[in-house]
Amino acid sequence: MADTRTPLLEAKGICKYFGGLKAVEEVDMQIMQGEIFGIIGPNGAGKTTFFNVCTGIYPPTKGKIYFEGEDITGISPEKAAQKRIARTFQNLQLFKFMTVLDNVKIGCHIKTSSNLFDAVVRTKKYHRDEEYAIEKSLDILRSIDLYEYRDTMAGNLSYGMQRKVEIARALALDPKILLLDEPAAGMNPPETRSLMEFIKMLNQEGYTITVIEHDMKFVMNSCSRILVLNFGEKIFEGTPDEVKVNQEVQSAYFGRGLVAGEALK
Amino acid sequence: MSKVKELFNKYQVLAYIVLLALLCVVPFALPKAVYVRYACNILMYATLAGSLNIINGYSGQTCLGQAGFFAIGAYTMGALSTKFGISFWLLLPLAGILAAFVGFLVSLPTLKLKGIYLSIVTLGASEIIRIIAQTWTPVTGGAMGIKQIPYPEMFGLDTFRPKYYYFIFLFIGVIFLFVTKRVLQSRVGRAWISIREDEIAAKSLGVQTSFYKSLNFMYGAFWAGVVGCAYAPFVNYIEASQFSTDTGFNVLAMIVIGGQGTLIGPIVGSTIVTLLTESLRFLESWRYVIYAVLIIAMMWLRPQGIAGASRSILAGGKIKRKKQAAGAEGGATNG
Amino acid sequence: MEYFLNQLVNGLCQGAIYALMAIGYSVIVGVVGMVTFAYGEIMMIGAFGAYYVFQFVGINLPIALLAAFASSFLLGIIVYKLCYERFFNAPRHISLLCTIGFSMLIKNLVQIVFGPETKPVLNIIDNRTFNIPLGGAISIDLKLLQIVVMILVVVLAVTLTLFFNRTRAGVALRAVSQNKDAAYLMGINVKRTAMLGNCIGCGFGGIAGILLAIYYYSISTTTWGGFSMKAFAASVLGGLVDLRMSALGGLCIGIVENLGITISSATFRDVFAFGFLIIMLVLRPQGFASKKGNRV
Repeated sequence: MADTRTPLLEAKGICKYFGGLKAVEEVDMQIMQGEIFGIIGPNGAGKTTFFNVCTGIYPPTKGKIYFEGEDITGISPEKAAQKRIARTFQNLQLFKFMTVLDNVKIGCHIKTSSNLFDAVVRTKKYHRDEEYAIEKSLDILRSIDLYEYRDTMAGNLSYGMQRKVEIARALALDPKILLLDEPAAGMNPPETRSLMEFIKMLNQEGYTITVIEHDMKFVMNSCSRILVLNFGEKIFEGTPDEVKVNQEVQSAYFGRGLVAGEALK
Repeated sequence: MSKVKELFNKYQVLAYIVLLALLCVVPFALPKAVYVRYACNILMYATLAGSLNIINGYSGQTCLGQAGFFAIGAYTMGALSTKFGISFWLLLPLAGILAAFVGFLVSLPTLKLKGIYLSIVTLGASEIIRIIAQTWTPVTGGAMGIKQIPYPEMFGLDTFRPKYYYFIFLFIGVIFLFVTKRVLQSRVGRAWISIREDEIAAKSLGVQTSFYKSLNFMYGAFWAGVVGCAYAPFVNYIEASQFSTDTGFNVLAMIVIGGQGTLIGPIVGSTIVTLLTESLRFLESWRYVIYAVLIIAMMWLRPQGIAGASRSILAGGKIKRKKQAAGAEGGATNG
Repeated sequence: MEYFLNQLVNGLCQGAIYALMAIGYSVIVGVVGMVTFAYGEIMMIGAFGAYYVFQFVGINLPIALLAAFASSFLLGIIVYKLCYERFFNAPRHISLLCTIGFSMLIKNLVQIVFGPETKPVLNIIDNRTFNIPLGGAISIDLKLLQIVVMILVVVLAVTLTLFFNRTRAGVALRAVSQNKDAAYLMGINVKRTAMLGNCIGCGFGGIAGILLAIYYYSISTTTWGGFSMKAFAASVLGGLVDLRMSALGGLCIGIVENLGITISSATFRDVFAFGFLIIMLVLRPQGFASKKGNRV
């Protein structure tokens, strides 16, 4: 997959150390417009840390991050969101005590701009923003099959549904790139399947998606390219087929057991 | 019950007007002037507690220094009206703005801080304000305080009588509720609540948490300042000890007893606390003992407050899985 | 210059008492995991315990200190049962308000039972003053009282450190302070250990209370809220759970406020204390403590 376009999101030599712990070491990554990019690796490989560096939660110890060719190294999460880099979290950071609709409405924050004054006087801008937020949120909820749960408190939903709400909320940013941290964790197989279909559909609509996932079937069937991390280092990058046959990946990630290896087939 | 709610929603405006009319009759219906005074106190503390509720209840910071903002408002009124004879109605917004400015200053060091660190800064700031009020004699009258603060002009009514002063507090309270309700239903209010519920998530959605926290402090301080401005002529005499941390704790107790994160909570809390402490006046010191026991008992029996804190992280973090949840799980498999 | 140096000595001594208060406070916060606003009243009860020893037993400092420790220790049990035990998993403001309520309760009960007037605490320690020349015309005055207080604080701090490091109960306390779940899994009775920690912290507060009373020659029933806030502030400066740093925080606050009043009037004492706290927190949001590791 040699490509001459400028990548949408690019990481160059990213290192992240926590004291003496090297969580991420010299990782390069290039995500192109319109692909589904997978990041895999055993537990503790530094995937989530890498994600957090990319979305501004942590500044990197070394290295640079470019978004649409612009250097965004060390920007705050708010700024990253304003550049329309949207993400979900591994351990679900939903507003549990708010309704599903309100959750998604907060996602519309950066797309609206009314301030305190607008709110008090109820200016045109306020009405426009509110209308936009509600319409947009309901649209997204319809597309992700959550419309009927719009007035349910988010924390009351099942785990799989909560993950979908989080994706819906991220979509409200109109993201240029969507980073999903283990979106299928805690889902049962049918849920996982439907999520995969949904992600593929989003991709066809033009969203660029990066996904960290443990579910091999999920990654192999949906991603166009895969980055493999182990102990914070990049050990391989390539298409799902290349990853399947790569020896290093096999031994590092899947261990020596046959059972794990068979999961690939 | 749901029918009542439906009716209420249908005739919402009408319901509010009736309620307001009833509130307007209150001072004339009460038999004794001292009862009207209690009513004034209830309204005043309801708004003050409401202003603290903006900070503690809606953006989830634990501010313990509301007495400081309150003092700023009261001293603005006390000093400027006695020295320069500026009208109360002009000072009302000015006091709010000054308090909001102080709120902004206090919010600056707290932006990086969380939880209890933030609380101690607000507490310290409130103490500093009180000590300045106690010592800056040329302006605040020092330990002597400021006496004979002029009563506001209001359609030529004798505002020194609580019967009429009541309407000033009612006016402020109604405006406060009206404005706050609008703010909470907007993008700004949602941003505050999102910070309370999950700051990291809020950030990742592009909510500039520092800005909104600061704004939240300023908004809460603004109203505390406005209430303070109305308080000064009401009591006619202000001095620093009226704005001690105990005053701040008292207001905090009101919102926790009433219920945080709801608009009605502070009103309920203020009513209960004021009625209790006033009606038990004959017990002298024992009334504080009873008040203290009430606070502890409330925390044991109903920590979410009488009116019930909003369904939020403040309520204790337990989510009840009801019918909806079961339906949701059913939906998940085919969804 | 001489005034300045004398104020430095006063600051050191007062700072030493604040350090003791802060150590007690940090033990409570560390082991229980919740802050308290009843600490001032706990100190007051300790001071009263010692005061009645002076009244009925006579001037016997060791017994008085023991009485202060014991009375605050016992009060600690009540605080723990009322304000903490139920609320380990509740939002923090609930136990916070409980301690505020408890502090009101104790303050008013004490005023009812013991009377609201300030009680004198005189002649506990010989009112001798040593004049120490520092070369030239400069000399500083050192009161016997100040020497005794400082020595006592150091001895108590060392004792507590030894207790935490050398005894079974002390190690259990440290474990609970670091990770309640892990401590529970290791077979430590977390609730009882937390209560013990709370009581020890309170006991130290009680001793600090009587030292303050001796230092100011009186016990009032109203000034303790301010001391409670100083203890809180010092503990926050030290990062809340780090005993050594909290002690340093207390010392700093004592010195800063005593030096501060050399350039203004004594009424600004608290402005310097809290101003220092706020500035420090702006510069170092986690207080003096460098890492989270150094707990109790």
